[in-house]
Amino acid sequence: MIKRLPLATLMVAFFLMLLWAVSVRQALLFVIGIGMGAALAGARFGFTTGWRQLIEHKDPRGVTGQIVLLAIAALLAMPLLANYTELTAALGPPSISLIIGAFVFGLTMQIADGCGSGTLYKAGLGIPLNMGILPLFAAGSFLGSVHIGDWLSLGQTEPVGLVNSLGLEKALAITLAGLGAVLLGVRLWVGKDKSWFDDKWLWGAAALALLATLNLIVAGQPWGVVYGFGLWAAKLAHAADLFDLNSNFFWGQEGNAKILAQTVLLDVTSITNIGILAGALWISAKASGNATPLTRAQWMIGLGAGFLMGYSSRLAFGCNIGAMLSGVSTGSLHGWIWIPLAFLGTLIGVRIRRRYGF
Amino acid sequence: MNSQTPRKWAFWFILAAFLSWDWLVTPTIDLRLEPPAIALGSGQTPTGGHCAIAN
Repeated sequence: MIKRLPLATLMVAFFLMLLWAVSVRQALLFVIGIGMGAALAGARFGFTTGWRQLIEHKDPRGVTGQIVLLAIAALLAMPLLANYTELTAALGPPSISLIIGAFVFGLTMQIADGCGSGTLYKAGLGIPLNMGILPLFAAGSFLGSVHIGDWLSLGQTEPVGLVNSLGLEKALAITLAGLGAVLLGVRLWVGKDKSWFDDKWLWGAAALALLATLNLIVAGQPWGVVYGFGLWAAKLAHAADLFDLNSNFFWGQEGNAKILAQTVLLDVTSITNIGILAGALWISAKASGNATPLTRAQWMIGLGAGFLMGYSSRLAFGCNIGAMLSGVSTGSLHGWIWIPLAFLGTLIGVRIRRRYGF
Repeated sequence: MNSQTPRKWAFWFILAAFLSWDWLVTPTIDLRLEPPAIALGSGQTPTGGHCAIAN
């Protein structure tokens, strides 16, 4: 077990360094990230696990928690987006890339036992497979960003934002009705005699919705995970001169090129990602025990899935956080396309997971 | 110490090394260009990257 006092000292020191040498905004986002990591790890709020429990055990508590999270986040975020034009929604383009990416992501996240946020908080908790997956997720995410121009050339439409196109009331009503329809579908699938709510999932949902809203207020953009991962790998690839990023569709764009050239401590998603790792580490300080050892085959399959998960998350314009939570709660149509396709992938992923004895 | 502890240390060491290297090789931050602490109400559209953005 790790002692909490030295850990708290290091976290405060990093916060002060950000405050002194980077910006107040990044320091605040680090604290928000710590809260996200603590909430994710403390509540064991796993998007992957919730979906798997629904499919394999007809246990709806995790998915109910996720629907509550989306509903609260939408109720908080949409009025802000409607009233403050400087805030942006998580608008991804409906595209072939999104369809394929979401499906593959949903499949591989079950094998890797963690989505974007799940990989982060489990790595922070010290779970060996997720610590191993994280750099491969980053590499995959980077490679996906390098190829994204080619994927988009297969077919895309302009991003659709419900708040902008329909107005606040209609956007909120459609979003809540959609979430209600999902809940009804879950109810029909599991039957009447199941327990719907679990304190752990509900407080996790409330905390994460609040923190996601704080992220939007402070950063001006919704919570995301994948961009930061891809950026870290892009930094290393650029330094090693592996890619001519200046001529690349994605990294050659002015905004991305600028972010690539500056320290990752100025990047919004990188800071919240570091905060999530730190928050989960804080929670792990009170935990003990070892994870079940994996066989060599399980390691290989898990790491391969992690790489594909990173690649597909870039194609899908986000993971469970960037596309599902941030997409749906800020009224992006791409979030609603992402969910059923990722769920279809998950239906296959849980079978592969079972086949290899995870 | 359980069997995960050395891996944990290695993981955090690599992350700290990456952040330190990145800090050293990138231009010094110009604090005069610091954005408002909170984007809400600032009137400034964020320029940060996000995974939902295609370019």
